[in-house]
Amino acid sequence: MTEFLLNWLVNIPGFAVPFALAALGLIISEKAGVLNLAAEGFMLAGALAGVGLMIHGAAPLTALAGSVLAGVAMGLLFAVMAASLRINHVISGLALVFFAGALTSYIASAERWTNKAIPGLEPILFGQDILVYATPVLCALTVWMLTRTRFGLTLRAVGENPSAADAAGIDVTATRFAAILLGAGLIGLAGGYLTVAVSHIWVDSVVGGRGWIAIALVIFARWHPWRAVLGAVLFGCIEALIPRVAAAGIDIPKYFLQMTPYLATLGVMVWAALRGTDRWSQPAALGHHHIREERS
Amino acid sequence: MSDRSALPRAPEPPATRLRLVPLLEPRQRTPERLRVGIYVASLLTATLLSIILLALAGVPPGDLGREIATTAFSSPRALGSVLAQTAPMVVAGLATAIAFRANFWNIGLEGQMILGAIFASSVAIWNIGPETMRLPLMALAACAGGMLWIAGPLVLKLRLGVNEVITTLLLNYVAFNLLLHLLYGPWKDPVSAFPHTEQYEAFERLPMIGWQNLTWALPLSGLLALLLWWIYSASRAGYLIDLMRSNATMARAVGVPVLGLSVASILGSGAVGGLTGFAISAGIEGRMTQDFFVGYLFSGVLIAFLGRTHPIGVVVVAFLMAVLMLVGQSLQVFFQVPFALVQLVQAIFIVCVAGSEFFLTYRMHWRSAA
Repeated sequence: MTEFLLNWLVNIPGFAVPFALAALGLIISEKAGVLNLAAEGFMLAGALAGVGLMIHGAAPLTALAGSVLAGVAMGLLFAVMAASLRINHVISGLALVFFAGALTSYIASAERWTNKAIPGLEPILFGQDILVYATPVLCALTVWMLTRTRFGLTLRAVGENPSAADAAGIDVTATRFAAILLGAGLIGLAGGYLTVAVSHIWVDSVVGGRGWIAIALVIFARWHPWRAVLGAVLFGCIEALIPRVAAAGIDIPKYFLQMTPYLATLGVMVWAALRGTDRWSQPAALGHHHIREERS
Repeated sequence: MSDRSALPRAPEPPATRLRLVPLLEPRQRTPERLRVGIYVASLLTATLLSIILLALAGVPPGDLGREIATTAFSSPRALGSVLAQTAPMVVAGLATAIAFRANFWNIGLEGQMILGAIFASSVAIWNIGPETMRLPLMALAACAGGMLWIAGPLVLKLRLGVNEVITTLLLNYVAFNLLLHLLYGPWKDPVSAFPHTEQYEAFERLPMIGWQNLTWALPLSGLLALLLWWIYSASRAGYLIDLMRSNATMARAVGVPVLGLSVASILGSGAVGGLTGFAISAGIEGRMTQDFFVGYLFSGVLIAFLGRTHPIGVVVVAFLMAVLMLVGQSLQVFFQVPFALVQLVQAIFIVCVAGSEFFLTYRMHWRSAA
C-alpha cells in the first residue's frame, strides 16, 4: 500500500505540469477577453517542436524553448484571426486546432519523427525535473503580472470592458494580440513538456484532448491562476492513478479507466456552472470583439 | 515694430511620416454579389495555397491535375468509388450543419458516430427483430445512440449554459474508449480475433443499387439532404429556425418556440450523426471497426462550413471532399506523400473561408493618422 501511494505521488507532478502551464496560458489570453479554444493546437505545435529538436540533438531545455516558440508561431495565426480580423473566436479556435493537428501530423510523418524515442528531461531534485519547480514560480509571476503591473491592468481592462479601455487610450487589438502570444507560448511549453519530459515520443494523439481539459480547468478555477494550478494537480492525481490501478492488479476495465479524465472534466464543468460567480469570475467581454466604430 | 520673420516658425509636418490607420466600418448589409464574390475569392486563395503546398511536398501541379482527373472521372468505376465515399460525407456534413444552423457548435460528431455504430451493431449482434426489419431497426438504433450522446451537452447547454464545444468534444474521447472496450472485449471478432465486430449478415448491410459498388447509402443520403432542404427553405419550422439563428432574443420575444426548435435541431443533429456511423458500418465496412470514424469530425465541420450549412451546398462540398480523399489516397501511393496532407489542405480551406468572414462583416477605410 505504501509503495502504491509512493509510486502514485511521485508521478503526480509530471502529469499536473502540462495542465497547469496550459491553464496559465489560457488565463492570460482569456483575461484579455479572447475566448481561446485553440489550446489543443498550441500544445500540438509545442509537443512536435520539442520532439523534433530533441531528435536533432538539442538539449532538453533548448527543445522546450523551441516548444515555446512553436506555440507563439501558432498563436500568431490565431491572433491574426481572432484579434486583428475579428473572426468569431469559436471559429478561429476550431480552425486553428484543425490546422495544427493536420500540420503536426504532416510534419511528423514527412520527417519520420513518429514513434521515435527521445531522451527526456533529467530530474534535478527529489526525482522531479526543473519545470515542476518552475511551474509555481510561473504561476506567481502570472498573478503578479495580472494584478501588480500596468500591462496586467491594461489586459484585464480590455477583457472586462474594451470600449472603456479604448476610450482611455488603450490599444485593444494590440493588447489582445500580446495576450494571445504570451498565452500561446506557455501553452506551447505545456505541449513540449508532454513529449520532452513525459512521453519521450511523438504520436499524433500525444496531446489527447489535454488542451480541452485545460480549457475546462480554467472555467473550473474561475480564471484564478492558483486555483487552476490546484485543479491541474487534481487532474494530475487522476492521470497518475490510471497506470497505478492496473499495476496494482485492481480489476477495472482498462478503457473505462482511460475515460476518467474526460468524465472528471465534464463533472468539473457542471460543478463550475452550478456555482455562482466571484471577483475572479469570467471576464465580462470574453469572446466579444471590439470595434470602435460600432455602437455597443 | 517687431519683425515677422523673427517669429518662431511652426515646424512643418515631415512629408514622409504619413501614417495610415485602418478604420473598420461594420457593414449594414452585404449584397449577395459581394457575398458570393468574397466566398469564391477565399476558395481560390485556398486552392492556390493548396497547390503551392502540394508542389512543395513533391507533387507538381500538372501531375496533380492528372491525378484528380483519373481518380474521379476517368471511368464509371472511378466515379463509383468517389460516390461511395460521398454518401457518409453528406450525412456527416448534414449532421454538423443541422446543429450549426441552430447556433449549437456540435463538435462531437465522432462520438455520435461511434454511439450510432455501437447501437446499430448491438441490434445486429443480438439479432433483435425479424430479418426483414433488421436494417430499419439498426438505423433507428443508430439515431437513438447519436441522440443519447448529444443529450448531455444539450441539457448542460440549455439548462446551465455550459459551453457545448468542450462538452461535445470531450465525449468523443469517452465514446472512443467505450468502442475500444467493446472491440477488445466482448465484441471482438470470434472468427479472426481482430478488434472489430463479426461481419454483419447480408440482410444487415445496406443493399446495392446495381451500379458499380454503390449501396443505398447514396440515394438515402441524397433524400435526407432534399428533406432538410425542404425544411429549411419551405417549411414554417425552417423559417423559424433561421429567425432564431439571426436573433434568438427577438425570436423569443415575438413568440417563436426557441427552446423546442433548439432541442429538435440539436437532437436531430445527434440522430444524423448516429446515422453517419450506421452508413459507414452497414454501408461500407459491413462491420464496426476501431477506426471507421477517424477524420469525419474535421470533414463534417469543413463540409457544413463551406456548404454554408445549406443542405444542397453540403452535398456539393461533400462530393468535392470525397474526391479530395481519394486523390489523397492515390497521391500517398504514387508520390509517397503522407495522407495528413489531405487534412492540411482541408485546414487551409477552413482558415481561408473563416478569414473571408472579415471582408463580409466589415468595410475597411484607410485614414491618415496625422
